[in-house]
Amino acid sequence: MTERTLIEKKWTPSSALKILLCLFWLVAIVLPLLRMLSTMASVDVAAVMSTRKFSRALTQSLTVSLTATVISVSLAGLLSWAVARTNIRHKTIFSTLLTVPMLIPSISHGMGLIILLGTNGWLSKLLGLSGGVYGFWGIVIGSVMYSFPVAYLMLYDVLRYEDGTPYEAAEVMGLSPRRKFFAITLPYLRKPLISVIFATFTLIITDYGVPLMVGGKYMTLPVMMYQDVIGMLDFGKGSVIGMILLVPALIACILDMANRDKGNAAFVGKPYGIKPNRRRDCLALAVCLIVSLLVLVLIGSFAVLGFVKKYPIDMTVSLKNITQAVNMGAIKYLGNSLIIALVVSFLGTALALVNAYMTARNKTPLSYLLHLMSITSLAIPGLVLGLSYVMFFKSTLIYGTFAILFLVNSMHFFSSPYLMAYNTFGKINENLEDVGATMGIRRLKVIRDVLLPQSTGTILEMMSYFFVNCMMTISAVSFLANVGNKPVALMITQFEGQMQLECAAFVSLLILLVNVLMKAVVFAVKKIAG
Amino acid sequence: MEKIIVEHLSKSFGQSGVLQDVSFSVRDGEFLSILGPSGCGKTTILRILIGLERADSGKICKDGVDITHAPAAQRGMGIVFQNYALFENMSVLKNVTYALLNSAATKEQYTRASAVEKAEEMLAVVGLAEHAGKKPRQLSGGQQQRVAIARTLALQPDVILFDEPMSALDVDTRLSLRGELKDLQKKFGTTMIYITHDQEEAFAMSDRIMVMDAGVIHQLDTPQHIIDHPADEYVKRFVIKNINTKINSLIQFARSSGETAEEQA
Repeated sequence: MTERTLIEKKWTPSSALKILLCLFWLVAIVLPLLRMLSTMASVDVAAVMSTRKFSRALTQSLTVSLTATVISVSLAGLLSWAVARTNIRHKTIFSTLLTVPMLIPSISHGMGLIILLGTNGWLSKLLGLSGGVYGFWGIVIGSVMYSFPVAYLMLYDVLRYEDGTPYEAAEVMGLSPRRKFFAITLPYLRKPLISVIFATFTLIITDYGVPLMVGGKYMTLPVMMYQDVIGMLDFGKGSVIGMILLVPALIACILDMANRDKGNAAFVGKPYGIKPNRRRDCLALAVCLIVSLLVLVLIGSFAVLGFVKKYPIDMTVSLKNITQAVNMGAIKYLGNSLIIALVVSFLGTALALVNAYMTARNKTPLSYLLHLMSITSLAIPGLVLGLSYVMFFKSTLIYGTFAILFLVNSMHFFSSPYLMAYNTFGKINENLEDVGATMGIRRLKVIRDVLLPQSTGTILEMMSYFFVNCMMTISAVSFLANVGNKPVALMITQFEGQMQLECAAFVSLLILLVNVLMKAVVFAVKKIAG
Repeated sequence: MEKIIVEHLSKSFGQSGVLQDVSFSVRDGEFLSILGPSGCGKTTILRILIGLERADSGKICKDGVDITHAPAAQRGMGIVFQNYALFENMSVLKNVTYALLNSAATKEQYTRASAVEKAEEMLAVVGLAEHAGKKPRQLSGGQQQRVAIARTLALQPDVILFDEPMSALDVDTRLSLRGELKDLQKKFGTTMIYITHDQEEAFAMSDRIMVMDAGVIHQLDTPQHIIDHPADEYVKRFVIKNINTKINSLIQFARSSGETAEEQA
């Protein structure tokens, strides 16, 4: 190779950009994590892990998460089958309703449970239950409500894109439905199902919102971590728990990576053909109606609770809670949340697009490192990321400002939008830039005029993902926010501490409304853009 | 007169050598096919010729000028890809006008109005005048490839490279596009270098054929001369045998059709 070409190949602007991005990841993810893990050098890890409190929290976390995962994935499987594999009508409405729980913080689900099934809960009274929702079953039910929409969306996608050709072949061979299920459906579902199970398990075991609200004395690891760090400023102990919470997330991330590549390679010859079957459709409709009704009851409970004087003593309609929430700064904190959500949806999306371009359309050995770094946030629970940031950025200029919340949220929610862009860019014609190069059109111009307009739908979904999650997150930000930059979702934890459920319900409703509005805007813009 | 002269071109990706000391020339106005199986290095030659890939060593001259290190846009060449590489977000007409108004070679020559006029003219040449307002995805594969050809022709390159442009198309479309491509070459006098792994296609269209395998050239000659005097065993096996098999199957097909027709009569 001549010296000239060697130089040209090694130092292109895109290589420089990739190195810059890798350095960014080093500062934004790797070093903060290492900082947190290094804290453990000064902590007697064995002593922390051998306490009764710790081992009980670990066992309880595992028990509750396993139970909730089994129920959540089963429910999601049933619902995805009902929507994807039957001829019921109004599938879009059901799909939308079933995913509404994804638009409110997990802690609000816990609160919803108290309103419905707590000691004075409406359903408890209606059904004559004792109101024993606190503890194990409370966390299980709350976690299921909060996690099943995620599992549903994943499974629905898998079922929707399954190739129908093997079923036609089986039909010709005269195989029974049972044999078809075991010979075709199950082997096809096996790998995605493992991914879904681990993703759901991770979501549940790392969440502190539901157990904080309904756990009562039933302590889980994330709640213990939250209380150790926020209440006792015990960063060492928090780090030990953080390290343990990293394990399931890391496994989920590895499984997801392994299955994703294979999933992309799948070729859909013909969509699955749904035969007419009235009995099956009636059953599916009943399942969808019951779950949708439960979701509506949950949302309705916030709506009612937010507008009554004092639940359950005085149920007269009142705007007292709104006034109180406003007096305590709800408008200001909502403003903070909107600033954070908007800035992150632009910054995070831009960063994800640049990263995805460099990994999907500008492949060099450095791209693989960048890809790996871009998906690491899948493996880092919000609480762990928040704690790492506290330790790493404590004495920097951005600590205590909006900037650190922009950064931590961009990183916390980065992987999913990044993968959306990565998949979209990967599917767009691979020779576009080559055509541009032969015509003498700059690469940036091709990206602006051709690549990005072809990705409009994905870009809107990415922005919406960042926005919605920033509006409702209470994990990483709980360690980093202060009075000046506090997002509105953290008011729910504050109200929970003060036993002001009505105000918390109003704030949850506020977040839900903003998120529904955002989803509606994205839907409308996508429709207009065609 | 030689339009392009390639001398001692070598290229490897990692440990595997893709091109090994390849030398050949292309005549002005010629239709040259590079024929070989997948992985023989033919696409790499094409990408090096147009400047999308750098050779490890060797020299490329066009019209007597060394273009080995020239940027792709300054080589006066156009390329048509197998997957069309159209701008999916733009209409068929906009695909051509965008190229005219933004391409380094033509952007100074055209106003928006004259670009539209030129684009309409080129679309008429490839028989797509009535589809100008459609998006590429609304067209068939063959029509999309015609748009790509019109877009390339509009920029008036003196050499056009084709990277297996018909391998994704059905037989009927391939046959008609073959004729159209030869007509266009005659009309515009453009030198065309055509990559294919289809022997029949190469023999039907080319002035000369360059037979390749494993990064080396086995023979570069006219179709007739290759059939009459294959250079080595590989050419005999890969080219002649395949051609003969196809001719035999065609004869058999014609016979059986004839017999069926007679029986029916």
